[in-house]
Amino acid sequence: MSVIIKQYFDFNIISDNFSEVMQGFWQTILLSLIGGFFALLWGLVLSLIRQLPGRAFAPLRGLAIAYIDAFRGIPMLLVLLLVSTGLAALSSDGVIPDFIGQPTFFGKTSPFWWGIYALVITYGAYMAEVYRAGLEAVPRGQMEAARSLGMSHGQAMRRVIVPQAVTKVIPPLLNDFIALMKDTSLVSVIGFIEVVQAGKDIQSATFNSSALTLGAVLFLLTTIPLARIVDKMISGQSSKTQRAIP
Amino acid sequence: MSEAFIGLRGIYKRYGDLEVLRGIDADIKKGEVVCVIGPSGSGKSTLLRCTNLLEAPDEGVIVLDGKEIDVKGGDVDYLRKNVGMVFQSFNLFPHKSAVENVSMAPQMVLNRSSKECEERARKLLDRVGLGAKVDEYPDRLSGGQQQRVAIARALAMDPQVMLFDEVTSALDPELVKEVLDVMRELADEGMTMIVVTHEMGFAKEVADRVIFMDGGKIVEQGPPSEVLGNPKEERTKRFLGLVLEH
Repeated sequence: MSVIIKQYFDFNIISDNFSEVMQGFWQTILLSLIGGFFALLWGLVLSLIRQLPGRAFAPLRGLAIAYIDAFRGIPMLLVLLLVSTGLAALSSDGVIPDFIGQPTFFGKTSPFWWGIYALVITYGAYMAEVYRAGLEAVPRGQMEAARSLGMSHGQAMRRVIVPQAVTKVIPPLLNDFIALMKDTSLVSVIGFIEVVQAGKDIQSATFNSSALTLGAVLFLLTTIPLARIVDKMISGQSSKTQRAIP
Repeated sequence: MSEAFIGLRGIYKRYGDLEVLRGIDADIKKGEVVCVIGPSGSGKSTLLRCTNLLEAPDEGVIVLDGKEIDVKGGDVDYLRKNVGMVFQSFNLFPHKSAVENVSMAPQMVLNRSSKECEERARKLLDRVGLGAKVDEYPDRLSGGQQQRVAIARALAMDPQVMLFDEVTSALDPELVKEVLDVMRELADEGMTMIVVTHEMGFAKEVADRVIFMDGGKIVEQGPPSEVLGNPKEERTKRFLGLVLEH
């Protein structure tokens, strides 16, 4: 029993390597926040393209649907590998500029930004589906009222439909954000040190898993409060709709 | 014909095999109040929704103030800016207060200043008897109050014609009168109105003309005293018999 405890909860290992793991976790947070932010935007853009009216926009709608289907169906690890190897090769061949192929914005390394690309590409597709559910949950009469007042489709979307849709889907978007945060650990496979890779390095050096345990605890300290917030919001929303029905 | 302010010419509307409107011709003079009655499924709501092209007819021409608008690819904006509509289900924007509901469209569509629009919105809400409710959100208003906000919202665009689509059908009986009173005032002030309604008392009292529709066609029309008081057509008699019995 004590061997097990020592393997996973060795406080000497944890305190010796605490700052290293925390630095890794900070990278995890950065990946999550920056990737999450752009995935939220990209998902909204995709869902709006998907909702464009009329025959003229059919090709664009088709592209958006194809994109969403494709990237919901491919593992993010694969996207990550395709992005990192492909972009690096293309930019060294001079096909694409370096600031796209091997970006180093704000002093972050290329693997960091490739990770951001993969997170945004994949989670943009997931979040587009969440937004779509929200947009479709806004009653048809809202669009009709806006259009009957002379608003264009774009104006009605921006001022009437999207604000209502987004408030409805904040909880599922937060759920996707939790999933995204966990998937940032995949970026370790292209040589980026985030919290999981940091723990793994310590484990290789010490033959002890306590640093990984610390990583798990750090994840839980972030994701459990987020999950509770989601629950609160959902119960708040349902009690509001229950009140609205006389 | 020349005195027609708004004219519907040969309006056809099909949903697949179902022919909902089968050649509607109607001319409405400026300031005229026309009530459209008929059994459910007779096409009267569809006719109203075709009048501002919320629903695109398959054939026909709409004339407004001497300007012909083809139902396919015509000047929808011109039509919608000049034709206001009030819906059975109110369709207020739930994320906006009463005054914002009213001031939003003129600000966005007519590019008026926000101050001007807000002052106007307050005046309009005052006029429909809701001067004390300007800052309330729709879910804090009764059905009758919501519908009066919806009327004010349509009036804020300074429409030449107002369409009313069974606007009292979703209201509790004791709230019907407050909405009809506002409509009666509008009629007295000379607004051109097309009113789809089941309120025979209102039609009898306020309408200049009553149109009875059945099976996607106009069966009979004329002054309320004739159509409601002394109908010629067998189908009109049958319908009125059923409606007035209870």
